[in-house]
Amino acid sequence: MKKHLLTIVAIIALLAIVALPVFAQGATEASASSASSKPVTIDLWYGAAITEAGPPPADWVGYQIIKDKLNIDLKLTALPSNESDQDVKIQAAGAANNLPDLFMVRRDAWKRLVQQGLVASVDDLYAEMPTRTAVQYDADSIAFTTINGKSYGLASPGSIIKNEGLLIRKDWLDKLGLQVPTTTDELFEVMKAFTFNDPDGNGKNDTYGFGAFIELNNYEEGLGRRFQPIYGAFGVEGTWDLNAATAGLNVRKPEMYDAMVYIKQMQDAGVIDPNWMAYKKDDFRAAWKQGKFGIMREQNAAYAATANYAPFDKNFPDGEWIVIDPPKGPTGKSSVGPYTVNYRIYAVSAKAAKEGKADAIARLLEWMSSDEGYYLLGWGVEGVNYVKDENGIPTDKGLALGFSTPNGQTVTQLRNMVFYNSDVELYARYPKYVTAVSGKTMSALDVLRDMQSRKWTPSIGCDTLPAPNADVKRFYEQGVLEFLTGKRQLTKDNWTKWVAEFDKIGGKAWEDAGIAYAKEAGLLK
Amino acid sequence: MAKKQHVIKGTAVRLTGADRSFYLLVDIFLWVMLFIIAIPMWSTITLSFRPNDFIGTNIEGMFLMPWNWSTAAYKALLGNNGFIMAFANSLKILVMGVTCSLLLTIPLAYVLSVQTLPGRKWLNILVIVPYIFNVGMIPSYLLVTNLGLIDKLVAVFLPGAVSTYNCIIMRSFFEGIPGELKESARIDGCTEIGVLVRIVLPLSKAIILTVGLFYGVSFWNDFFHAMLYLNRNELQPLPILLRNILMASGMNEYVEVNAFGEAPIAAIKAASVFMSAIPMILAYPFIQKYFTKGTLLGSVKG
Repeated sequence: MKKHLLTIVAIIALLAIVALPVFAQGATEASASSASSKPVTIDLWYGAAITEAGPPPADWVGYQIIKDKLNIDLKLTALPSNESDQDVKIQAAGAANNLPDLFMVRRDAWKRLVQQGLVASVDDLYAEMPTRTAVQYDADSIAFTTINGKSYGLASPGSIIKNEGLLIRKDWLDKLGLQVPTTTDELFEVMKAFTFNDPDGNGKNDTYGFGAFIELNNYEEGLGRRFQPIYGAFGVEGTWDLNAATAGLNVRKPEMYDAMVYIKQMQDAGVIDPNWMAYKKDDFRAAWKQGKFGIMREQNAAYAATANYAPFDKNFPDGEWIVIDPPKGPTGKSSVGPYTVNYRIYAVSAKAAKEGKADAIARLLEWMSSDEGYYLLGWGVEGVNYVKDENGIPTDKGLALGFSTPNGQTVTQLRNMVFYNSDVELYARYPKYVTAVSGKTMSALDVLRDMQSRKWTPSIGCDTLPAPNADVKRFYEQGVLEFLTGKRQLTKDNWTKWVAEFDKIGGKAWEDAGIAYAKEAGLLK
Repeated sequence: MAKKQHVIKGTAVRLTGADRSFYLLVDIFLWVMLFIIAIPMWSTITLSFRPNDFIGTNIEGMFLMPWNWSTAAYKALLGNNGFIMAFANSLKILVMGVTCSLLLTIPLAYVLSVQTLPGRKWLNILVIVPYIFNVGMIPSYLLVTNLGLIDKLVAVFLPGAVSTYNCIIMRSFFEGIPGELKESARIDGCTEIGVLVRIVLPLSKAIILTVGLFYGVSFWNDFFHAMLYLNRNELQPLPILLRNILMASGMNEYVEVNAFGEAPIAAIKAASVFMSAIPMILAYPFIQKYFTKGTLLGSVKG
């Protein structure tokens, strides 16, 4: 009997464990809602600046300031880091008419929500937040979120554009008595010299001219981003040509064959690091830090930021990379690659507008872009998370809870809602420093400015064009590699046949769909 | 000189040449399989101990000597409040989820195993239909929303608390328990609940642990439901954090630091994968002896 009783008690206890959180959390919510009846509650689903660092703490000073000054009870939810997960979460909430009041959303998902009538027009909000509108929104960004004459989203500037460049080892050039190459022919000669003339002087045949890895995205297909300066010399940079007169897929253009021949010559001559097809991003970066090659396309901070440059500085105190112009091809064309302008869209749900929260949302966003909000969201609390240097630039040197420390990062998770790539942001993000071994003065910002000054190809909106189906994508990516590895012989005839086959399996349909989309979205220039 | 004999342990069977060749091939196959499994595991472990100043490829990193390893990634993870909070949330989901699932699955499986139950056939169909025709994400989301379970940990495990698959395995196991035992208990005055608690459950340790393990693994790894139903940051379980860490695009590419201080982000990713697998790695050896028995016995009838 005693044992039986014990069993019953155990079952009840287990049931209580299961049920407890349901009631406990329900009670918390109920009491919270009754207590917060006065301030307007705004549910904000935001894109975190560093998702894995964790959310702002429960006692984050921003909550109280927003409540005291704006009479807003802010509820924050970090969206998943993966874009497709974000879409799923938002669309599920949309289907249940349970969207938050203000939320970040990708353009595709946003368009569907607009069509479903779940997103409110924000035309009236721009005038209600003059400070924010002046720094965050312009005619282009408003056009980006305008459907049938109404703006349905607040599009803020996204990541920094044109932040990559073609880099070359200047110390190798000097040692071999070579000039900076300006054409593809000169580039080839330099690549050969870097490969066969022992530019590092170690007596070993262990260097190559060019280094790369396959880094693909929907607007840099084929061999991907790292080869764009080569493609640019032949006028076929990027997946798409968005010139109104010649619009279409670059892979279908005759110049693509010429670019492929050039890259095949690099491959055959052995002037490209032979591991480029197997390299992942980390391998590629380890390779240039080990001095394996002397020419590459790299991102400004991945090259010049303190932690990233330190291993190279240690290995080659006399080494020096410089940013150069992309080489000119046979017809004088050149480009580092295509670039697009990206935006982060924040939408106001129709439910929130119906509940009369639009004004409170405008009030909140305007405050975020005020001096107080900008610095609080961008860098935290002055004296705790940052101090201003003599130039007024936030820095966290010596601060235990500095904005760049693991704990300090949590209070700047909303910074992407206020940042707009201003000088203050960039100086704070990329401070000048002196390298540990060689004592060089480095600045990822100077490198960025240099990279941005080079010749790029505007391809605005190219990242929003339709993606190919899986078969076409596979055929395209495998095909170009097969030509370079020799599995397919790279002749004009074979290339033409391959392009015809590409068209047949869906390449032409992809191009047609892309052009139609670009026309409709006004992306052709 | 006596010829060496290959004898299967515990038997007196002498192996022929063909047998020996066969066993050799099996051994080779198993070694190859072991390597295929061990290499990525070793790669992950060594990556998690890689110091920030290491320069080299992943393959070179796999041969990094242990005295050059760094524990910075583990220190950073264990010192990160988000990780500890997420780990605790996952443990809560695991304990509550497995408890809830077993409490619901055991009675259902037992009822379905009672041959004399009126309408048993229809009840079985009722259980199997949702297994074949999944309702989909949106109806589930609507149901959870309407039940007011958004932002409650129970939303992660309650909708999937009874797995048809696990229920059928358990039902088959219960059906295998000799009916005479239950009959004797009933003759002695035991109620059906008494038969279940006093006769069936003590004989079903293997299947309960096996099914509990199935549930445990699924709840521990469940990313999707947590992502969908939990908005409040303090409720996020480990798979969400793990996903965020794995999706982190190498923050040191863009800024001077990453979210975990001095440890390289690749080491953080590997360490978080390894640490999140530890509870399941620890659970398996203890349950293994029941696991084989439970799955095999459960699969005999169906």
